[in-house]
Parts: sequence; structure tokens; C-alpha cells
Amino acid sequence: MPLAESIPAPALLDALRAAGVTDVVAVPDTHQRTLIELLQADPDIRFIQTTTEDEAIALAAGLVVGGRRPLVQIQHAGMYASVNNLRGVAIDGGFPLVLLIGLLGRDPRKPPRENFDSMVRYAEPLLDALEVPHVLLDGPADLPRLAEAARLAAARSGPVAVFVGMTTA
Amino acid sequence: MEGARVTASTSRMSLDSALTALARRRAEQVVVSTMTALAPWRERAGTDRDLVCVGFMGGASSLGLGVALARPDVPVWIIDGDGSLAMQLGSLITIAHAAPRRFLHVVMHNGVYDTSGAQPLPAEGAVSFAGLAGAAGYARAVRFDNAESFDAALDELLEVDGPVLAELMTEATGAAYRVNPPPDAKPTPVLAQTWPRVARALA
Repeated sequence: MPLAESIPAPALLDALRAAGVTDVVAVPDTHQRTLIELLQADPDIRFIQTTTEDEAIALAAGLVVGGRRPLVQIQHAGMYASVNNLRGVAIDGGFPLVLLIGLLGRDPRKPPRENFDSMVRYAEPLLDALEVPHVLLDGPADLPRLAEAARLAAARSGPVAVFVGMTTA
Repeated sequence: MEGARVTASTSRMSLDSALTALARRRAEQVVVSTMTALAPWRERAGTDRDLVCVGFMGGASSLGLGVALARPDVPVWIIDGDGSLAMQLGSLITIAHAAPRRFLHVVMHNGVYDTSGAQPLPAEGAVSFAGLAGAAGYARAVRFDNAESFDAALDELLEVDGPVLAELMTEATGAAYRVNPPPDAKPTPVLAQTWPRVARALA
């Protein structure tokens, strides 16, 4: 079966709406550039940019305290950089956060953990080590997984990651 | 932006006197505290609107910014540490850009990593957190080296429309990090205990 080459950003934005996302807290990601462009112009979902990914996690947690339903949008490299706040804020704090993580440079012919690129290869095993559930968007048909991830995050009072396996278009 | 007003300073105030000035104004604010200020603050002025930053140094102001952006009607205070803020200096840019309107960011600048043995902060004596915040775009950023001047200025600072950073030159407390004995059962982390209470208070 041929793989989809990209995930349409408008469809991904619709999936965010369907998941009830009120705010996207983000550090720019090449992989999700077209989604960021849509979010920056979106009148309903607030787009908040931070300088680091651990900041993004703590800020999103504060939004939850204030009654919002944020999503954290970052790249795999940023996920590695944010591990202490992922642990100390999202996991230990019990915050229902969805992390949308771009797998920049992924070879879509292979599962992420079989990629040569270390940033792609170690992404799922790292979250396994931290006991953070994760799902993969391998094409437009997987977009309902985003709302499922939001429900799971709420049910387990903790973070759930959604890997964006294809560049958004 | 009125910019930072920074003067060379060698005198310092006690942490206790700095907290006293803040505690006198404690009302409906959400307060995020961290490091050596955390315990004495909660003892003297803690409410069900207190959040704690333990185990993620540098995250206090980002956590508070999230609350401020969710609830712009609620004042938010951060009681930060100098070593903590140094770990997340970029947060100054994020806060300045987000421009929360009722946001007081207090930095206890004692010049050392107090709980780990009072090792000096890099560039201590040269670095100015008020200067950094002013350059990042805070609406106001001021350094104080005695509690009386901070207390006298605080009411006016709380009226500023936009993020304010107050750098308080404080004495080290010598409070060592206390290692608790291993628990027999899995404990609930302190952040998980406190934030639902704050969320209920804000609902």
C-alpha cells in the first residue's frame, strides 16, 4: 500500500478542533510549518509561542489550571530538550496534556524506531521509558487518533504524545 | 516600556523581610513559588491559590504565565530564584511578548545556589535580572537592595499594566536541601496535590 506523502494541515487543524483544543503552545517545527501558519491566523484557537519546549509544557500546565484545554506542539528534538518538565510537570503533576510532536526527517517507509536518524529512532523508546502513551499519524486516515489521545490524556490525568509522521502540507 | 533601573548594589535584605512585604498584600492572587522562598511563603501567606515549582527548576514563571493567560482577570505572582530563572532565561522573552497585564515576577537574587551548598551563581556581581527583563520587554523591571524601598514601591508596581519584574537582592538563607527518607508507599507529587485545588478556586 503506498504511503501518504503528507498530512493536510487544514485536516489536522480540524482534528485539533474536534479534540476540543483551545490553545496551542508551540516552538516552531519545520515538519509542521503549514499547520503553524494556519494556527497563527486562526480566530478560535489561541497560538502561544515559547522559546523552549520545557517552557511550553509548564505554560500549558498553567493553562490547564486556569480551565483551558491546551495542546503542546513541538519537534522531536524539542521533546528531548523538554524531558525534565515532561517528567516533573506533565507526568508528576498529572496534567492531561496532548503533545503533538513532529518527526522531522523520518523515512516514511519505515516505522520510526527503525529509522537511521537518531532523533526519529529514539523518540518512541524514550516515551516508553517514561510510560507516556503515544500514537503515530501516518496519514490523514489517522487523524481521529488526536481526539482519542485527548480523551486518554484526560482519563489518565497525564500526557499523551501524538507523533506527526508525515510533513504537514 | 519604561526600562530597567539598575544600580550597583552590595547591600541585601533578608528573605523574610522580602516575603513580609508581599504577604501584606496577599489577597486573590495565584502565587507560584519555588526554592528557598517556597516553605516560608506558604507558612506565612499560603492559600488555596498557591502553586509550587519543585523538581523543575526554572519553570515557575512559565507555569504562572499559563494561569495568567487562561485567567487574565486574576493577578499572578511568581516568587522565583536567581539560579532558577537563569535556567530558563528565554522565559523572560516569552512573558514580555505575551504581556500578561497583572503579572508580578519577583526574583530572589541571593547570588548562590542556596539549597545545594551556596555555590556562587555564574557571573554573580555582574548579572542583573532587572536588566535582562527590561531588555526582554517587561513593562517594568526594578532592582531593590532593601526591603523598605521594595515595600514602599510595591503598591505602585502592582498597578503597572503589564509584566513587572522585581529583583530583590537577598541574603542567602543557608537552608540545605532536606532529603526525606524513602516512602513506603508511592507519594502524590506536591504539584499534583496543589494544582487541582487552585483550579477549583478559580472555577
